[in-house]
Amino acid sequence: MRLPDFDLHYPTSLEDIQGLTKKFLETGEDFDFIAGGTDVLPNYKNRLNPKRQVISLSKVQGLNKISPNCIGALARVRDIAAHKELGIHFPGLVQAAKLVASPILRNLATLGGNLLLDTRCYYFNQSEFWRASKGYCLKADGDECLVVPQKEICYATYSGDLAAILLVLNAEFELHGPDGVRKIPARAFYRGDGIERFVKKPEEVLTFIHIPETQSKTRGPALKTAYRKLRARDTIEYPVMGVAMGLKTEGDRISQLEVAVTGSEAIPVWYGDLGFNGERICQDTAEGLKKALLNRVKTYKNVPFPPGYRRSMAGEFVKELLLTLA
Amino acid sequence: MNHPHDLPNQKHSLIGKRIPLIDAFRKATGQAIYTDDIKLPGQVVGKILRSPHPHAKILSIDVSEAENIPGVHAIVTGRDAENCFGVLPVSQDETALAVDKVLFIGDNVAAVAADTEEIALRALGAIKVEYQVLRPFLKMEESLEQVPEELRLHPKTYDGTNIHKQVEQDFGDFDRAYDEALWKKRQSFRFIGVTHAFTEPMCTIAFFDADERLTVWSATQVPHYLHRALAKVLEMPMHRIRVIRPTVGGGFGGKSDPFPHEMVAALLSRKCRRPVKILFDREEVFYSNHGRHPSKIDVALAIDKNHKISGLHVDALIDGGAWGSFGVVTAYYNGVLANGPYKLPNFRYRGRRVYSNKPPCGAMRGHGAVNTRYAYEILLDEAAHDLGLDPAAFRRDNVLPPNTKTINELRITTSGIGECIDRAVEASSWKDKYGKLPFGHGIGIAGGFYISGSALPIHWDKIPQSTVHLKVDLDGGVTIHSLAAEIGQGSDTMLAQIVADVLGLPIDYCRVFSEDTDTAPIDLGSYSSRVTFMAGNAARRAAEELRKALIQAAADLSGYPPEVFILKDEKVINCTRPEIQVSYREAVRRAMKDCGALQSSGCYQAPPMGGKFKGAAAGLSPTYSFQAFVVELSVDLQTGKPKLHDVWAAHDCGKALNPLAVEGQIEGSIHMGLGQVLCEEFAYNKGNVLNPNFLDYRTLSPMEMPRVHPILVETCDPEGPFGAKECGEGPLLPILPAVSNALFDAIGIRFYELPITADRIWRALERQKKSSATLV
Repeated sequence: MRLPDFDLHYPTSLEDIQGLTKKFLETGEDFDFIAGGTDVLPNYKNRLNPKRQVISLSKVQGLNKISPNCIGALARVRDIAAHKELGIHFPGLVQAAKLVASPILRNLATLGGNLLLDTRCYYFNQSEFWRASKGYCLKADGDECLVVPQKEICYATYSGDLAAILLVLNAEFELHGPDGVRKIPARAFYRGDGIERFVKKPEEVLTFIHIPETQSKTRGPALKTAYRKLRARDTIEYPVMGVAMGLKTEGDRISQLEVAVTGSEAIPVWYGDLGFNGERICQDTAEGLKKALLNRVKTYKNVPFPPGYRRSMAGEFVKELLLTLA
Repeated sequence: MNHPHDLPNQKHSLIGKRIPLIDAFRKATGQAIYTDDIKLPGQVVGKILRSPHPHAKILSIDVSEAENIPGVHAIVTGRDAENCFGVLPVSQDETALAVDKVLFIGDNVAAVAADTEEIALRALGAIKVEYQVLRPFLKMEESLEQVPEELRLHPKTYDGTNIHKQVEQDFGDFDRAYDEALWKKRQSFRFIGVTHAFTEPMCTIAFFDADERLTVWSATQVPHYLHRALAKVLEMPMHRIRVIRPTVGGGFGGKSDPFPHEMVAALLSRKCRRPVKILFDREEVFYSNHGRHPSKIDVALAIDKNHKISGLHVDALIDGGAWGSFGVVTAYYNGVLANGPYKLPNFRYRGRRVYSNKPPCGAMRGHGAVNTRYAYEILLDEAAHDLGLDPAAFRRDNVLPPNTKTINELRITTSGIGECIDRAVEASSWKDKYGKLPFGHGIGIAGGFYISGSALPIHWDKIPQSTVHLKVDLDGGVTIHSLAAEIGQGSDTMLAQIVADVLGLPIDYCRVFSEDTDTAPIDLGSYSSRVTFMAGNAARRAAEELRKALIQAAADLSGYPPEVFILKDEKVINCTRPEIQVSYREAVRRAMKDCGALQSSGCYQAPPMGGKFKGAAAGLSPTYSFQAFVVELSVDLQTGKPKLHDVWAAHDCGKALNPLAVEGQIEGSIHMGLGQVLCEEFAYNKGNVLNPNFLDYRTLSPMEMPRVHPILVETCDPEGPFGAKECGEGPLLPILPAVSNALFDAIGIRFYELPITADRIWRALERQKKSSATLV
């Protein structure tokens, strides 16, 4: 299987990128950004919405720095997973990074790429021949969804590991575009269905991820964070269910609870405290939290494992996370 | 231990030694040449147009537009070669390309040879095919229906259905055994298909040259069968065809048929007179499949009042996919190979292999025996449990003795099954663990046995099944010519080891040429676990001939009688007076004096055996391997995910010619078998293979592999080369049921459907919580 033809551009600065995107917007040419390439290139080989113009971010300087409160979008997942200071401040983020794909893929994959990961579906992630024989789907070349037959919404599953924990941490995503710089809270970033996925405009580049300090004199002790991932094997796999949690306690009661889920719907979903702030931490509360999450989480039959099982695991994980973080 | 193949005074220098495979360095450094590494002058790219329908009539194919694309050199369709072929003479039901009908999504419709892949793909897109879509047969049960002729997948089926092969056998009196049983049970099992997942995708280069000779380089386990099929399809005499097998990146049965793409490359090359290479994408490998058949197996087991197995009834419905392949053998093996490793006095079998509109199934490691073995070993475990017996002791009590005949007249010679059970039980501390581990943690056992080469060849020619030629010239090196296909299993090393050992030489004296039909004598190929036994014996005999010549030369030079000489350390030594020695090189020179280069030939043909009834040949083997495995595991009760800890794998390999290689085969078999029992799944969605890639078709990663403790049991088979039997397939059989039996010990739940994925375990645990019933 070979890549389709495309022109590959290597801008070295954000200004150069804007020059390129401006040109393509004027000429009406479609384009993609590429960083580690571990998501884009397999899709291109399958002829999944390939573009004629591809802008590599690999030569843009300064976007791979890691400090606890600001991570460049080009930071390698491997480097996040190995970062000591991050591990002290946001153990859930480092834990999630360690669970991304496999060591070889983590060496290439970037934080930005993971956050902007394309959605996945049995009817989408297939070759041109396969999709032609089945009938094309809404997300590529067709007009009807093959998971939930209708013509409006794509139900492909969001499969990034790092978004859920950044939703929990209330991170902000910094975007550079022709109209300047804007910061969008992660909790407002993911919108739409399996095709739209987020509010970033095609010409905008995700540059930095800002994570607010969770520990201060006024805000009390740090938010404790953790992530649980469901996968068929202990390496290589995308999450088919992932639950991230942030927890603060006062005495034996919850003083702050943040729950987010990935590997379920077309976008990662932040559920906040699910109404459990102030509850006493005990087995009953954990059971209640599990039920509350199960009432909200949706799964579809388009990635490995039956949807019912994946949903049930969200409940199991949230219960376990509450009891272990407390 | 003394073995008929040992000389009284000559000790082995290489047999039984841990020797790295002789091609290991070439492979590890990237120097090994695979088919795709070969690039010939003028070579063009071949691509195959595939069917988008599971079942359809081809009304017309228009290639006119494609032919006119610049850079296109040749186009072929089914009409260019209508001769049928197939690995078995009894089911020749494949053609190079579909002639009238397509039988599965991915079936071969037309092919293009072009300068580049891009041009070839464009040309495929320009070929216009008109189809009339037919009702697809996607479930096994549908293939049992009587249907009009146009809905039958092939002309030869049973009684107007889509049944390819039906087998019935009845030995003893099963009904009576079942009526009189102390314990009995009928149970239905379901198995999904799995595939080989070898590393190297199919690749073939064909070149029909200026001398009108055809050379085909191909990643194949069976150069000889490919040679025959090419001759038939291309209507060329075999002597004008040469098959070369470059380094092969794994086969496991998936490269043991002659394949349509090999015919297509040859047809394209004959048309454009250029070398044509066809390299498959991984997705195309999935369409080629030939993996393990999905099956539904109903089993009834009877245990008598003395706790002996008294009867077994197997009824297997087997999904063959679109073509016959090895399917007639599969239809027999699903029953026949249940006749060991335990004594079985009454046995009834019905096997039905059906055609369906899916990629063809074929031979895969443990061919035909795996699924029935699973069902049988689960019921044995249930019987032991219900009767309050230790499942290991119960099995030990029922083993086949050596030198016996089974009820279906399989000739059993050596058998190490008792020792296998004893040593696996001992090594695993079974008695301290079985039934004593905490909930969620368990231990299980299962046995198995397998053929060591099929005694009757596929083609009923009266020629040896294996022949090896040796040549020694002035340099003293020994050239070994064989057509036994080295596919990563270590057969080249085995041949070199045997020859060097017999001649008392270091192994680097031997050069193995096992890839070329022009220079090698016939060997039937690498399948049915036959190579060590058959080619090994042929090599041994050829080497013994050479040894005789060298000893005679030493006798002539020294004046002592030949009987006193042995070969050792590059010398021919008088063992009664060790100071009398002739160097190997001197002996070679002397032996060459009157004849030039020394040559010898050795061959192997299995002795006559077996009963006179219909199908008596199926399952016959000159000897059988035996095994017993113990598995320890635990289950994550929150998610249902199983975690394997240890496997104690006792295997009777006759004699471990190379313990390092035997252990490698045991570990590899366990990895492959664990895939089938835990996660691998050839999944379909209405005729489309749902997961034709290695992300979604899940083989186990190293993270899931347990600690494997190989236990080599040596029974020194009198007919095996220096006592050896097979070790490449048998060790796959017990791992599946041993895992399942360990799961029962851990959580009290039986699983009658594979694979046993985390979600199935979790659901079963949830159901268990809700009711006291433990059956799934």
